[in-house]
Amino acid sequence: MAIDAAHPVPPAIARPRGKDQVPAHVPEELIRSSGLTTGPQFLASPHDFMAGMHRDYPPIFYDVNEFCNAWQLIKHADALFALRHWEFFSNEGATPFPRDPHDYFYFIPIEIDPPHHRKYRNIVDPLFSPQGVLKLEGLIRGRAAALLDGFASRGECEFTTAFGRPLPVSIFLDIMGLPQDMRDTFVQWAVALLHSTDRAAMAQAMKSIVAYIKQAIAEKKAHPDAGVISRIAHAAPDGTPLSDKEVFGFVIFLFIGGLDTVFATLNNIWLWLARNPDRCREIIARPDDLDDIVEELLRRWSVTFSGRVVAQDLQMRGVKMKKGDRITCVLPACNFDPEVFPDPLEVNFDRPRKTILAFTVGVHSCMGGHLARLELKIALQEWLKRLPEFCLKPGAQIVYRPGGVVGPESVPLVWAQPRR
Amino acid sequence: MPKVTYVQANGTRHPIEVPIDENVMRGALYNDVPGIIGECGGARSCATCRCYVDEAWTEQVGGPASDAERELLMSAEDVLKPNARLSCQIIVTPQLDGLIVHLPERQY
Repeated sequence: MAIDAAHPVPPAIARPRGKDQVPAHVPEELIRSSGLTTGPQFLASPHDFMAGMHRDYPPIFYDVNEFCNAWQLIKHADALFALRHWEFFSNEGATPFPRDPHDYFYFIPIEIDPPHHRKYRNIVDPLFSPQGVLKLEGLIRGRAAALLDGFASRGECEFTTAFGRPLPVSIFLDIMGLPQDMRDTFVQWAVALLHSTDRAAMAQAMKSIVAYIKQAIAEKKAHPDAGVISRIAHAAPDGTPLSDKEVFGFVIFLFIGGLDTVFATLNNIWLWLARNPDRCREIIARPDDLDDIVEELLRRWSVTFSGRVVAQDLQMRGVKMKKGDRITCVLPACNFDPEVFPDPLEVNFDRPRKTILAFTVGVHSCMGGHLARLELKIALQEWLKRLPEFCLKPGAQIVYRPGGVVGPESVPLVWAQPRR
Repeated sequence: MPKVTYVQANGTRHPIEVPIDENVMRGALYNDVPGIIGECGGARSCATCRCYVDEAWTEQVGGPASDAERELLMSAEDVLKPNARLSCQIIVTPQLDGLIVHLPERQY
């Protein structure tokens, strides 16, 4: 039965953990403990690890770990199927983000299956469409330029704190209709909530975010403006206003979904650029191909995973899955499927265009995909205009953080001081 | 507003008024026309908004607007029909008032 978005209840779907909780229908030969997202081999070089899965793992296997056992899909075709068939693979109960069971809410629209999901997307899609985000181009360029002008003459920066985090947070605040003086606070909240290993710090950050967002929604209800929070707060699909729970779940989902993924994507790409000065020169020399360049970089440096819950028994590649099983689409691995992207680790801006999985596919395709593409494009343009040559700071240690958003913790960069 | 008629594979016709500068894919999505999915939202990434431009309109509308559009159509169709387009790449103009597009039986 479809969930009632206005009256959220915590899902009652099992989260089996460890080798003692493997369902009986899972064949022994498909059980692995891959260490995906947390193991030392993964953390040594996550994207290489995920590309190597096509050699080292069956195309579908059952991963056993201490967080949540699940089927792992690494083939491009299998992920397309799973993400496009919500009647087999549901989003309800599939998002592993902990919430207060006494004040539960759904992340909207990601946790809502069709057909209700479309009514939420229609509220914001016009703003996040390619034409919609183009209206933000000047603003994004201005924010990127201002950040760069603040540190370009210093000859060095730590990329993620100087640029990778503040840029998307600034833009997020603009789009939401929130004040820019909240930028550093939002960065702190996002980092504490999403990167912290200290559960008390996470809970405290969540509490602050919830309180702030609730107050912002109340304010926008009283004083409508052109921002997204106001748009959601005043939305009335088919004449029925959204409930408080829906408005809140929608706004907080945009916060959680829209920031960390962009930080990580930028970090991965700038680390690669710093190590490949010839490719920086290539990008600078091909300004008219920037859309293709962005698409290939997003394929090569995808950062996230997409989970579903099996909604009815089925077989894929002869593997029997049962209702209630969990699956994870290992999106970066799918983008490295050699059957679809030959020589998958090679960054090749001239690949024929195919569907990449950076933003998933299906009805739940990332609504921020166009914004992310535009942010990345403008970030490349503005950065390379000022700092065409840069490299990793000598002695820099690149450490990947464990978890569902893949990227280096920090990227210290140096460049020659501009001549005066 | 220009009118675009979407013809499903089973022959059902959906005449829809689509604002100028909007694309043909969104015209379908906002009006619940079945047969167009448009899951990537117009990024030239998914090829799930394919349509076939009616013969009377092929000259006016033209072929694929970019290599990316052509390559995506090729990846999605066994045999690429000359009038195949991604509907997200067809922008509605006053000149396209009356446009007819035919939709495939399935997008994937």
